[in-house]
Amino acid sequence: MPLIFRLASAIGSPVRLGGITPDRLRDMSLVEIARLEVLQGNVSVALGDLFRVSGDGADGRLTFEGDLAGVHEIGRGMTGGEIVVRGSAGRHVGGGMTGGAIHIHGDAGDWLGCEMKGGLIHVRGSAGDHTGAAYAGSRRGMTEGTILIEGSVGSHLGASMRRGLVAVGGDCRDVAGLEMIAGSILVFGACGRAPGAGMRRGTIGVFGMSPVPLLPTFRAAGRFRPLFLRLIRRDLERLGFPPRDELSGEELVLYHGDLVGLGKGEVWCREDGGTP
Amino acid sequence: MSSDFIKILGGTVHDPANGIDGEVRDLWLAGGKVVAAPTDPSVQAVRVIDARGLVVMPGGVDMHCHIVGSKVNTARIMCPERSREAAPVARTATTRSGTMGSVPSSFATGYRYAGLGYTTAFDAAIAPLAARHAHLELADTPCVDRGFYTLVGNNHYVMRSIQKGEPEKLKSFIAWLLGAAGAYATKLVNPGGVELWKQGRDGNARDLDTTVDGFGVTPGQIIGSVARAVDELRLPHPVHVHCNNLGLPGNWTTTLETMKRLDGHRGHLTHIQFHSYAGGDGDEDTFGSKVAPLAEYVNAHPNLTVDVGQVVFGRTMSMTADGPVGHYLSRLQGSKWYSSDIEQEAGCGIVPIEYKNTSAVHAWQWAIGLEWYLMVDDPWRVTMSTDHPNGGSFLAYPQIIRLLMDRTFRQNVFQALPAPVREKSALKDLDREYTLNEIAIITRAGPARMLGLKDKGHLGVGADADITIYAPASDAETMFQMPRHVIKAGRLLVEDGEIREPLMGKTLHVAPDYDREVEADIQAWFEDSYSIRWRNYPVDLKAQTEAEVVA
Ligand SMILES: [Zn+2]
Repeated sequence: MPLIFRLASAIGSPVRLGGITPDRLRDMSLVEIARLEVLQGNVSVALGDLFRVSGDGADGRLTFEGDLAGVHEIGRGMTGGEIVVRGSAGRHVGGGMTGGAIHIHGDAGDWLGCEMKGGLIHVRGSAGDHTGAAYAGSRRGMTEGTILIEGSVGSHLGASMRRGLVAVGGDCRDVAGLEMIAGSILVFGACGRAPGAGMRRGTIGVFGMSPVPLLPTFRAAGRFRPLFLRLIRRDLERLGFPPRDELSGEELVLYHGDLVGLGKGEVWCREDGGTP
Repeated sequence: MSSDFIKILGGTVHDPANGIDGEVRDLWLAGGKVVAAPTDPSVQAVRVIDARGLVVMPGGVDMHCHIVGSKVNTARIMCPERSREAAPVARTATTRSGTMGSVPSSFATGYRYAGLGYTTAFDAAIAPLAARHAHLELADTPCVDRGFYTLVGNNHYVMRSIQKGEPEKLKSFIAWLLGAAGAYATKLVNPGGVELWKQGRDGNARDLDTTVDGFGVTPGQIIGSVARAVDELRLPHPVHVHCNNLGLPGNWTTTLETMKRLDGHRGHLTHIQFHSYAGGDGDEDTFGSKVAPLAEYVNAHPNLTVDVGQVVFGRTMSMTADGPVGHYLSRLQGSKWYSSDIEQEAGCGIVPIEYKNTSAVHAWQWAIGLEWYLMVDDPWRVTMSTDHPNGGSFLAYPQIIRLLMDRTFRQNVFQALPAPVREKSALKDLDREYTLNEIAIITRAGPARMLGLKDKGHLGVGADADITIYAPASDAETMFQMPRHVIKAGRLLVEDGEIREPLMGKTLHVAPDYDREVEADIQAWFEDSYSIRWRNYPVDLKAQTEAEVVA
């Protein structure tokens, strides 16, 4: 049985849950947990004043229930275990996490999985801007791990990411993979302007539109049947992401770029591809 | 004068300016000053601070740091990750919250200086155009008396007056500029070289005889002319010189030549560590120390003083008016870079960097800094600095003090450095250890004297009651890390590491007299060149902050 946090009533000021992680709560009693302090706006409040806490966290599982769109930093810095959100979550979910899994049965806000270093985030709804990206000033976005989003995401998806996999069932907005260093981004819907702008290495696949609005600093490199996408498909299905036929090994157009950077990135598009 | 006396009872006093080296005595304070003990034995102090068994020194004076103004704020904006990753400074009942990292926020800067027992700090590089911003930010930097030096080494009017052979006009201009900016002293940064850099890619002054295009003057002429003007104006602090060729292998010859071109005039050579390198272009193996010949020259020439600019291993922020240095460092480190061109006045380069003890070059820089402290014979001529935040944070001062006072500790750090440094640095044979009195000189008495601050850096009658009281500890770093009491202007600022009363200090500046007839010429040039109007340029200090004219 997981530890269950049920939002007591609609919250006013935003709440920051950074540090409320499965590994930390594992050995605490319900009373101790209810006394833990978190920030709401600029004041400290007890967790027990915000949530009705029940269940048992000994097996490292936490469940949040209610509309948590104003609750931020869920699972931030977690190292293991599992968090399930039954509803929507706020910003900074799973920021800097190193392990474990977060499942959101709703939408997530901006900065989902920013600078994550391992683990899995699976959002059944949509997510905001800067998913898997770097925080301002940092050299690297996510460096390991997997982010699955069945809906759509905002801009700056995977910006400066270093390693790991992000899959988006719907659309993404501008500059997906901005200045990415390595790693993989798959978008099954359409994308906004300039995917892969400034990318050094790494792989971006855009399967839901044609042509893809690439920058002129990407160069067509030919048509291939990329078998590695089948391996990724197997991984995605194992993790519970809805099956995608786009990864079955059909012929795709490959572009290299961004030539204003290192130029070793790959963008894969459907037949009759982008507009270099 | 207020007769509310405070008495500091029975401390071991180190007041080298008055020849007091560890004597147990009482100090009496009143009206923000050190006063003579009342002759009437019935007079009681309203407060007695028991300093028995403790060490009493004047408050620390940091004569070269970068804590305010446009470059400091650009660095904060440019590197939010540094602030984010450092533990925040929490708000208390008496103090504001803030951020740390390589460039702490304004209030946190003041609190941390006070926490270290420093009560005076000078920002070393403010372009006159940025003076208004700098003053406003100084007014938000609590706990310390403060001021800044203003950049003149690449100023178009300065170069033009030298070119035309008009030393009187130069002198008047410098005096006018110091007053208009509310500055404390003049600063040269890569004189002439920054102007060349602003004129074109890879432009710079390679030596002191490079001609600055468009002005027909050389760095050597700028150095000599400004040093002379500053002396003739009898400014309290000599020209503050950041030499040409900072950081480059083989730059020691430029530094030695700079000392000579001062031509007997007073001169302060800043962050001298960055200017004392052997070696030639592109050959890392020849990189090394040339402290010995430079220190010998300094030892023999009493017109010269230096501060060190010690490098501390770890992440720091290079921020300098030396624009080409910013470019050089960003290419060397592959890091982000900011550059700016400040109209007729100056340049600026900012680069986040990291000094690693595994890098032979960085290890050399660390060793060269310590060689300077240990090879200048007279501690009154060398001042502690990290060029905060360039070589390291001012928060590293206690660690540097331990390196100077404890040769075993020093050798332990030294022995972990890469082999070339271990084998070749003079540090392996330098077993000098600083005494407490010598530390008091290089951290407060000396810099106060170099700055011409008559009321600071000592504890004689009439001195500002800026006093730091330390508890002796097993090592000097621990002792200097957290003073027991810090007193500022006679009020208790810090007690056991906690800010008691975050009082605001005052801004120290000069307002030298000059030939008013030159103003028309300056105005004509100004209106022709600047992006702002003449009448909006001078800073009205009285409207902004508590200020005191020193000379
Ligand atoms: Zn400096």
